Amino acid sequence: MDALIQAFGLVFDPVVLGVIAVSAVFGMFVGAMPGLTATMATALLVPVTFFMPPVPALGAIVTATAMAIFAGDIPAAMLRMPGTPASAAYADESYEMTKKGQLNLNMGVNLVFSVAGGLIGVAVLILAAPALAEVAINFSSFEYFWLACLGLTCAVFLTNADAVKGFLSLFFGLLLATVGIDPSAGFPRFTFGEVELMQGINFIATMIGMFAVSELLRGAISVRDAGHVVVQQVGDMFRGLGAIWRRYWANFLRGSAIGTVIGALPGAGADIAAWISYAVSKRFSKEPEKFGTGHVEGIVDSTSANNSALASAWIPALVFGIPGDSITAIVIGVLYMKNMNPGPTVFTENPQLIYSVFLIFILANLIMLPLGWAAIKSARQMLRTPRNLLLPCILLFCIVGSFAMTNSLYGVALMLVMGLFGWFLEEHGIPVAPLILGLVLGEMLEQTFVQSMIKADGHYLEFFARPIAGMLGAATLLIWAIMLGRGVLRSARR
Amino acid sequence: MRLNDALLGAILLGFAGWVWWMTTFFPAFPGQDYGPNLFPRILAGAIGVCGLLLILRGLRSRAPLVMLDGWTREPARLVSFLLIPGAALFYILVSDFLGFIPTAFLILLVLALWFRARLLVALPVAAGVTLTVHWFFSGLMRVPLPRGLMDPLL
Repeated sequence: MDALIQAFGLVFDPVVLGVIAVSAVFGMFVGAMPGLTATMATALLVPVTFFMPPVPALGAIVTATAMAIFAGDIPAAMLRMPGTPASAAYADESYEMTKKGQLNLNMGVNLVFSVAGGLIGVAVLILAAPALAEVAINFSSFEYFWLACLGLTCAVFLTNADAVKGFLSLFFGLLLATVGIDPSAGFPRFTFGEVELMQGINFIATMIGMFAVSELLRGAISVRDAGHVVVQQVGDMFRGLGAIWRRYWANFLRGSAIGTVIGALPGAGADIAAWISYAVSKRFSKEPEKFGTGHVEGIVDSTSANNSALASAWIPALVFGIPGDSITAIVIGVLYMKNMNPGPTVFTENPQLIYSVFLIFILANLIMLPLGWAAIKSARQMLRTPRNLLLPCILLFCIVGSFAMTNSLYGVALMLVMGLFGWFLEEHGIPVAPLILGLVLGEMLEQTFVQSMIKADGHYLEFFARPIAGMLGAATLLIWAIMLGRGVLRSARR
Repeated sequence: MRLNDALLGAILLGFAGWVWWMTTFFPAFPGQDYGPNLFPRILAGAIGVCGLLLILRGLRSRAPLVMLDGWTREPARLVSFLLIPGAALFYILVSDFLGFIPTAFLILLVLALWFRARLLVALPVAAGVTLTVHWFFSGLMRVPLPRGLMDPLL
């Protein structure tokens, strides 16, 4: 109880509330601009929050991402361009609604169900995380090893990309994580005598490169021929919502539930949650023929799902230190920087910080309603922001942000190399998200692997001897088998 | 730009071999079976397997060795693309000498003008953004942004 009161004090501090308000506006803007993603918003926020205490720093990230995931729906409906990948699943459907003259209703549905879905995700986070932490406190290196394996496998399994390329990205990430002083013997690996590389590859500069610079490279190609954007004004977006609630409340609950589960799975986040819940909605709908023609049903499911996934992705991140998506991968990096190492012990040692995160999540979802309303109303002006000025400014933020993470040009050089590398990978259909998860989890995976190998001392069945480790291990092996089977079938069919 | 899977796979195979070769220089510790080379070697092996799979797939598909997208043949778009890494490289090379403010201002101005912003808009935006970023990072957050030529003025 003390911790809860302390958390209220930490969150309802004028500075923290100010940070939350500013990041909310920032998140809305980034989310609403096509080509700027929620992950990019987070990566660019980290250098800014670097010198802040933990609560405002986490508050900024929570708020900005929650807003960005919702705001991505705005250009999806108006321009058929999803503002973030999490809105891509239903961008066509939203745009069809707009063409039928239902933009107002579409925006209302997106806003209200995003808020409601987000709150469901937060509720599950608040209930599940401390309970899981109590279980996790007894985990040994075997459980953590399998958890990390399972998380990384899911990251590959659940993306639409080809499995070989997904794994390739993952192995690159894990290999990058081995750069620097090795955790068991203290030997510098792959440092080529460079002092800067001793501490390992700087994670935030890598993120900025992979998620922001590579996006700028793609955007730069077409920025000179950007035409004028014509967007219609939104009117009363809350009319007719009551009827939608009464008709589709089951869809809302199902979408939120799917979103929460997918978000909580390590390795998969809001965009995958939206795709899957949209597909489920269509599969079980009474009128599947209407999907794709501007039918609101699938939108209810998936817009609830992506916001609920955002919150539940924090469950594995806080409890096990295993990111649920690329946003929480950055969060884990931030937690380490703030000396609040994620894991079950943070719930007993720093409960006030955990409660603060919960409070900020609730707060962020509540202020989304008025701010989202304002964002929709001003979308006309916002979407008219000239990209030819925005793009150079973002590049400058990337440069300064990377510089600030290392206080040297090493950060900028790393950002540049990683940006080009990320662009190269995506050109070849190799997704970058598994690489980032690998980079974050690499050290933990190696450490728990080597510890477990030493404990097992050649008896590999030890990896499955403890009940939870056995279950996790079996699940991981099962997914590997499924992927292998799929690959063999596919190549046999060719 | 897209390399054929077989070419990509061959490069990866070479890379994996190089990583493995590097690990042979890692020290071994007597009495400890699992040293610092174990994990990188597993990864090198895994990348090598992925490379082999890609080679097999690429040989079957018979796609051209390197495929260039249409935009790479349009000089204006190519310049737009190259300006992004170029600007970062420019910052790395000259920011220590020029200082943050002139470097950032030049980057913003040149990029905005090339992307067809009007000079009357680009000039104040470049100046305003440069000064705001400098104020925030250098003044508020104490990041040691290079002073360069501006040192006597700051």
